[in-house]
Amino acid sequence: MITAEALTKRYGTTTAVDELSFTARPGMVTGFLGPNGAGKSTTMRMVLGLERPTAGTVTVDGHRYADLPAPLHTVGAMLDARSVHPGRTAFRHLLALARTHGIPRSRVDEVIGLTGLEPVAGKRVKGFSLGMGQRLGIAGALLGDPGTLMLDEPVNGLDPDGVLWVRRLVRDLADEGRTVFLSSHLMHELALCADRVVIIGRGRLLADASVQDVLDQSRNAGLVRVRTTGSDVLARALVQLGADVAAQQDGVLHVRRVSVEEVGAAAARAGATVLELAAEVGSLEAAYLELTSGSVQYPAGGSR
Amino acid sequence: MNASVSSAAPPAATTRSGPSFGRVVAAEWTKLLSLRSPIAIGVATVAVTGGLTHLFAGAASGDPGFVPTRNLTDALPLAFIGPLVLGVLVGTGEFSTGTFRSTYAAVPRRVPVLAAQAVVTAGFVLGIAVLTVGAAVLGILPAAAARDMTPDLLGAGVPQLLLGSACHLVGAALFGLAIGALLRRPVPALVTAFVVLLILPLVLSLAGDLATGPLQASTPGATPPGTAAVNTVETFTLVGAGAVLTTPDGGGLDGAPELGVPGAALVLAAWVAVPLAAAASRLRRRDLA
Repeated sequence: MITAEALTKRYGTTTAVDELSFTARPGMVTGFLGPNGAGKSTTMRMVLGLERPTAGTVTVDGHRYADLPAPLHTVGAMLDARSVHPGRTAFRHLLALARTHGIPRSRVDEVIGLTGLEPVAGKRVKGFSLGMGQRLGIAGALLGDPGTLMLDEPVNGLDPDGVLWVRRLVRDLADEGRTVFLSSHLMHELALCADRVVIIGRGRLLADASVQDVLDQSRNAGLVRVRTTGSDVLARALVQLGADVAAQQDGVLHVRRVSVEEVGAAAARAGATVLELAAEVGSLEAAYLELTSGSVQYPAGGSR
Repeated sequence: MNASVSSAAPPAATTRSGPSFGRVVAAEWTKLLSLRSPIAIGVATVAVTGGLTHLFAGAASGDPGFVPTRNLTDALPLAFIGPLVLGVLVGTGEFSTGTFRSTYAAVPRRVPVLAAQAVVTAGFVLGIAVLTVGAAVLGILPAAAARDMTPDLLGAGVPQLLLGSACHLVGAALFGLAIGALLRRPVPALVTAFVVLLILPLVLSLAGDLATGPLQASTPGATPPGTAAVNTVETFTLVGAGAVLTTPDGGGLDGAPELGVPGAALVLAAWVAVPLAAAASRLRRRDLA
């Protein structure tokens, strides 16, 4: 379990993480989401004690990371796939890591098998693709068989097979009762494997909720789109039903607070021929963009 | 693929033990030997020392007063570059490659890693140093044989000379490690180490020559104060202290305090200990980002 309380990190006048509080619970995959530069990696470095908070605390299973007697057995982390000396082989890198905790060589072979690294285990890391580097990072995180896993952008650079493998792996890890905390800047990726999402922007907490709750908050949730031959008549009929109606171009109406069935029935009563009728499903991507708009550090030029 | 991750299902974190100093040393030893550069540097140091000593001894063997053991340490000013670079690479390698993230996540107390790196580097370079000294001994043999001489390795001062050479090489490696760990980037660390070890002694000996001047040199017996000051500084440099350990007569410079072998060893130790302590302090107090 990872618990952050009013976690704050300032570099001079820049506030990278601002009074952030959240909990990643056992048995769940918690997604950690935010635009680039939102403070995700800084937060993760503070979890591992690589950086000290300016204020607030972050603990794993109730302990500060530096106070953990056997850190690799408590938290397995992959912060950056480039955390390996390029001149070392994958096997030697993992072996050196294992030796700090007296983890046997057989466990090193086990995680190499688990992450599908056997063919390249004896090769120096400098020749690795991004995907193999990610697998090696995940192998290192699994080495100590920890109760908490923290993975920074684990699907970055993976091929489609690898992406599916990571999704299934994190699901299985959580189902075994472990805490899984993984970051991404891609909402749809997390939507496929996370139970909860912690969304931050500019270091501040924007949402800490289940995936379903975030979906429901979306501006598109509950929106019905209808295009008819008699939009004026239909609009009046719908307003009488208590709906919010917004007329769009080409006779399209955006209707809220009534169901798609009620819109269809109202159109029939009004004698308007329905050309298109659709209930928009809230998309996580849209909800995420709404939440983080205004907190994007590097907006694309000219788009807003 | 079966994605079950542990052999024993429920994670029982509390019963398993974490990093001890012995384990961290074992990990650093694995790291050192898993790279090509330390081994390449070791081989090069031994080979260059043997070859150069052979050349120096061969050149000196024509001299009527040739004493083979006097040439044993002739290659040393070049030989210590290898251990120095090795130390810098160990000290900076974690930071220049990002390995420090996994290393210090595994050992959050941090300082034991630096101490283990010092132990491992000292041990590895001691091995190289023994081989290097052996290569130097082999290097003087052909020249000695050409003059029908048998070098007296147990003669006055020679064992101390060999031991001093080995200490000097280990000291250079640990100094490199300390500067590397302190500065964290290979190029600034190498430049600093080379300035301290190669350029500073040159500047000081030049300053000594200038301070003496051609006229004062003719006054016998007295050492001019300028020369004495420069020589005193030179005695306390890493190279000056090393020279006391590795010069056959062990003699000091004019006007400088006589350190003797124990004093010189202490000066050498301080050159290692002070930057190592500074690196440890930086490691403890600052963020690793």
